[in-house]
Amino acid sequence: MPANRDAPLVARVPLDGPYVLLTFRHPEVAAEARAGQYVMIKAGTSADLPLRRPFSVMAVSAEHETFTIFLKAVGAGSRALADLRPGEPAQCLGPLGRPFTAPPEKSEALMVAGGYGIAPFALFCDELLRRGRTARVFYGGRTAADLQVREAFAERGVALVAATEDGSLGHRGRVTEPLEAYLDAGALRPTLFACGPDAMLHAVARLAARRGLPAEVSLDPWMGCGIGTCLGCVVPIQRADEPRPRYRCACTEGPVFDAVTVVWTGDDASLARRRALEETTA
Amino acid sequence: MTPGNDGLHLAVEVAGLRLKNPLLAASGTFGYGVEYAGILDLSLLGGIVTKGLYLEPRDGCPTPRIAETPSGLLNAIGLQGVGVRAFVKEVLPRLAPYDTAVVVNVCGDTVEEYAEVTRIVDAVPGVAAVEINISCPNVKVGGMAFGGDPEMTYAVVAAVRKATRLPVIPKLSPNVADISVFARAAEDAGADALSCINTLLGLAVDVETRRPRLAFGTGGLSGPAIRPIAVRMAWQAARAVRIPVIGVGGIGSGADALEFMIAGCRAVQVGTANFVDPGVYARILSELRAYLERHGLRDINDVVGALAFPGDPAPLGVHS
Repeated sequence: MPANRDAPLVARVPLDGPYVLLTFRHPEVAAEARAGQYVMIKAGTSADLPLRRPFSVMAVSAEHETFTIFLKAVGAGSRALADLRPGEPAQCLGPLGRPFTAPPEKSEALMVAGGYGIAPFALFCDELLRRGRTARVFYGGRTAADLQVREAFAERGVALVAATEDGSLGHRGRVTEPLEAYLDAGALRPTLFACGPDAMLHAVARLAARRGLPAEVSLDPWMGCGIGTCLGCVVPIQRADEPRPRYRCACTEGPVFDAVTVVWTGDDASLARRRALEETTA
Repeated sequence: MTPGNDGLHLAVEVAGLRLKNPLLAASGTFGYGVEYAGILDLSLLGGIVTKGLYLEPRDGCPTPRIAETPSGLLNAIGLQGVGVRAFVKEVLPRLAPYDTAVVVNVCGDTVEEYAEVTRIVDAVPGVAAVEINISCPNVKVGGMAFGGDPEMTYAVVAAVRKATRLPVIPKLSPNVADISVFARAAEDAGADALSCINTLLGLAVDVETRRPRLAFGTGGLSGPAIRPIAVRMAWQAARAVRIPVIGVGGIGSGADALEFMIAGCRAVQVGTANFVDPGVYARILSELRAYLERHGLRDINDVVGALAFPGDPAPLGVHS
């Protein structure tokens, strides 16, 4: 069950540029969070920016009753969080949402991350390694500075393939390119998991559909509440047994969805499905 | 109603409805209540007003649907919902274990649909009252179109009045020049109380794309940004009619709730704050108790209408 409490910041690790790791004491999140789940967090009680923000759980310590998030301070809300000092509390509600599904036995988990979308995969690796499973991470960004926390995966003994659009680290180009090369080389019954910008998620979904691979994507729309009541974060989803898409809350029915059920923006194949939905909308 | 252990009375009566405290969850900000069941104790609340319900399920507006603005939230959800029959069959029984009043917010594209939705909820146990949504700014028919014309307001309220013996509570739109005209129209049509106010029509622009930030275009503004407007309009409505007024708009603390009650509201609804902090009810209740103690009062009803407005005769029962 998600729990709502003031969680004190216990550790703050500044990284390059706008990136920072924050660790909060929150027994329920520490004990129950699974990879792909998130916590709604707000620093302070200022009315100026009313809403909390969703953050993927990156790591947990049951022993210390803590969880860690990976934050890119991009706006006033995330900056207020990034500026918290150890001992200061943030309002935290979690863990929330649908986590990633563990891949079937003997399937290799291939995790595709864009920028701060890397966060849930550290916890996912922990879960899989604990069960003797293997994982491989493909990590993309515009430039090397966007590929933070790589050492978290090295520490876990997980292979990580980097890709940057400017070539400053790893493969020069999109992260899906080394992923395709790895699949071409004969990956063992791979299952894909993706978290990052929509364009990257869409590319992974297309690639998975083309190759007939199972894939889950973690979507990141604007969320108001995290509980399924504001209906602000809905995404068009069409399951195999449904005649048309329906708006579903990313906060409660996601953020992780089976990639084939997502009706993507800017995709001709999705356009008719999206129109079918919008014809019925207000 | 018995007072709490501290001897303080927080119970109020609105439109014949006895609420154990003056706090209701506002429509559209609390789902159907059950979503919060594992996160807070629903029995803390005086009542829950459901998300608006039509006869049929609705998909609502395209996305994006919400935008955060200074001290506010702009939304165009478009009344996505399960429809009244699914609510009655699947949701209402799950609310039965909680000691809180369930108020159903009814919607319609036509006057007849409002009445039909009302008849359906009137026929089942577990519903304490009906709130009439004549003020949603995010639908192309119905909604604010009814709440923006006093004759239409009268027609909808009269039709709902005829369809039920439950208390009938129209929720008025702030997007009008003089809310007292609408308050009187609703009272004349047989309303038992009024909810004041719904969201204010707004527009937020993404300057990079030069498009509205919401897919629907305009949206309804809520949150602390609208509170002074909401207090003013609830106060105007309360002065215009004899039926009680339920204040709503930007309430997130005990002091916020008290502003509305002092301005003449018998009860209040908490809206956007539900998204921000599920602990808001426990906090407001403890702040109301602290206020009563600090002012030597035993009953929350003693503050209702206690506003000393410049030029008005001194209100009755005010402790100077």
